Amino acid sequence: MVDASRLDHRRAPKPVFVKLQHRKVTRAMSNRTLPRILQTPSVLLLLIWMLVPLSMTLYFSFIRYVLNSTIRPEWTTPSLSNWRGFGNYQYVLNAKDFWFAIQNSVFIVSSVLVLTVILGLGIAVLVNRSFPGRGIVRVLLISPFFVMPAVNAVLWINMILDPVLGLNGLAVSGINSIVEGLRDFPVLGGFFSMWPELEPISFRATQTSAYAVIMMVSWQWTPFAVLIFMTSLQSEDESQKEAATLDGASPWSQFINLTVPHLARPIAIVVMIQSIFHLSLYAEIEIVSRGNGNKNLPYLIGEFTSNNIGAASATGIFAVILANIIAIFLLRMVGKSLMD
Amino acid sequence: MATITQSSKLGNVLWPALAWMVALIFFFPIFWLVFTSFKTDADAVKPEFLFSFTPTLENYANMTENYDYWRFAINSVITSSFATLFALAVGVPAAYAMAFDPSRHTKDILMWMLSTKMLPAAAVLYPMTFLTKNFLGIFDTHFLVILVLCLINLPIVIWMLFTYFKEIPKEIIEAGKMDGVSLWGEIKDILIPLAWGGIASTALLTFIFCWNEAYWTVRLTTVDAATLSKLIEGNRAPEGLFFGRLSAVSTAAVAPIIILGWFCQKQLVQGLTFGAVK
Repeated sequence: MVDASRLDHRRAPKPVFVKLQHRKVTRAMSNRTLPRILQTPSVLLLLIWMLVPLSMTLYFSFIRYVLNSTIRPEWTTPSLSNWRGFGNYQYVLNAKDFWFAIQNSVFIVSSVLVLTVILGLGIAVLVNRSFPGRGIVRVLLISPFFVMPAVNAVLWINMILDPVLGLNGLAVSGINSIVEGLRDFPVLGGFFSMWPELEPISFRATQTSAYAVIMMVSWQWTPFAVLIFMTSLQSEDESQKEAATLDGASPWSQFINLTVPHLARPIAIVVMIQSIFHLSLYAEIEIVSRGNGNKNLPYLIGEFTSNNIGAASATGIFAVILANIIAIFLLRMVGKSLMD
Repeated sequence: MATITQSSKLGNVLWPALAWMVALIFFFPIFWLVFTSFKTDADAVKPEFLFSFTPTLENYANMTENYDYWRFAINSVITSSFATLFALAVGVPAAYAMAFDPSRHTKDILMWMLSTKMLPAAAVLYPMTFLTKNFLGIFDTHFLVILVLCLINLPIVIWMLFTYFKEIPKEIIEAGKMDGVSLWGEIKDILIPLAWGGIASTALLTFIFCWNEAYWTVRLTTVDAATLSKLIEGNRAPEGLFFGRLSAVSTAAVAPIIILGWFCQKQLVQGLTFGAVK
């Protein structure tokens, strides 16, 4: 049936200037199957990818399941007879680590968001004018975004932030030795000898390593914000700005009253996309933290996975719920603009 | 009036200078990485050789010996290229159908595809290990890495292609259809030539994402299919003994992608915001 109508449709060529609407109707009725066939592989693949592992996680989250147990060897194979109900969820909710991981996740994500949006706005406005070497400046600015996360973390934590061998340690000891030299000065020496010896901050403790993660992730993602804001700034209405200048509006009030509202949507998109990426931050935490207690949800899941699969799965379900809450907002916001 | 011209003259020097400064600060860590890669391991941690040292290519020459760099690099190239190819092979027909033959459900399907991207990978870590290790026996194979990279990037590929295809006038495709061109001919002779730029930048961006992926490539491999992410993560050298050689291998791991990235800055915006920022 379908084939016949399609052939028929093809055999009778219509002039190209037929009204669009008419054509839409004919096509919609004649070959609905073909587009479906074309979409099937990708839909099917994604469906399997999404459903199979996730339903396993859901199943494991309701049973007792550990990888090693000499006392209860029956728990080491997944089976319905080990049913635990919401026990794993309860266990996870009562674990101190879980709340710390959530708190830390939120702390890292929100700090990165604040930093990248503010820096991104400033830099985008700064670069959004013509000056010599603008192309090179753009290239230099965007580069951090393409550095692979593992290299980013290794580079920052070792070569830059290390309190002894990194630039952090070297800079502090440099300052100390300058102050040391100044103490021998006749008059000012007395003033400088009151200065304390500076201690470099170590970024390997629980709290400071979270700062290190924030630093490196912000370094990597500020370029992303800059790029998006810059793209959006180019579509800003210049005549409006000129009118504002003629009316005597200061650059600052122009920025606040014209530019920021124009950028509201890109800002929202930057915030949402980054939240999704940073909630699943892993490589950076893994490399920087090394068991010093600085963890986020994915890292905690990784820790549980080394033995307690039930708890890992329950934590995973919590992570899915958290991501979904954010995803819903993103889809609403991005979705609207896409279909017009 | 005078103040305005004065301040704008000052601004003409000040703002570009500030922009350059910011750009140099942001680029500095990368510069430092490349810079350190030319120092010997011993020199790299000595303050007196911070800026003046005898540059050496030793670290690059010994990359194979120290880290077996090429094996990981070849794995990265193989997995990223094939994942990109497969994602395009599956994504182009789907995006084509969605852009030129949208149904009532097209929007929902696209949104759903995007939502798969938002699932936290960690949530399915154990099931994936379990399935691939105990059940399918494909753990630590190129096939698995290619499959996973293809799947996690498929939503972005389809979205990007969809936004590019939507900009092609429907009439052109329609005209081909009426001349009795087959579906394959339509895609090969009309769509691909017209959307070539879009397809190329989608491919480039997908390749970059695959190359930099650092969760599944680390968690689902051990030796055979391990990529550069795994190599770096396994050699984080916290004691600073090997800053020189570690910098060299890191530079070799990121340089190709940074250079590729310079060519697709514009597409990055469209790709990552799903066409919502123009």
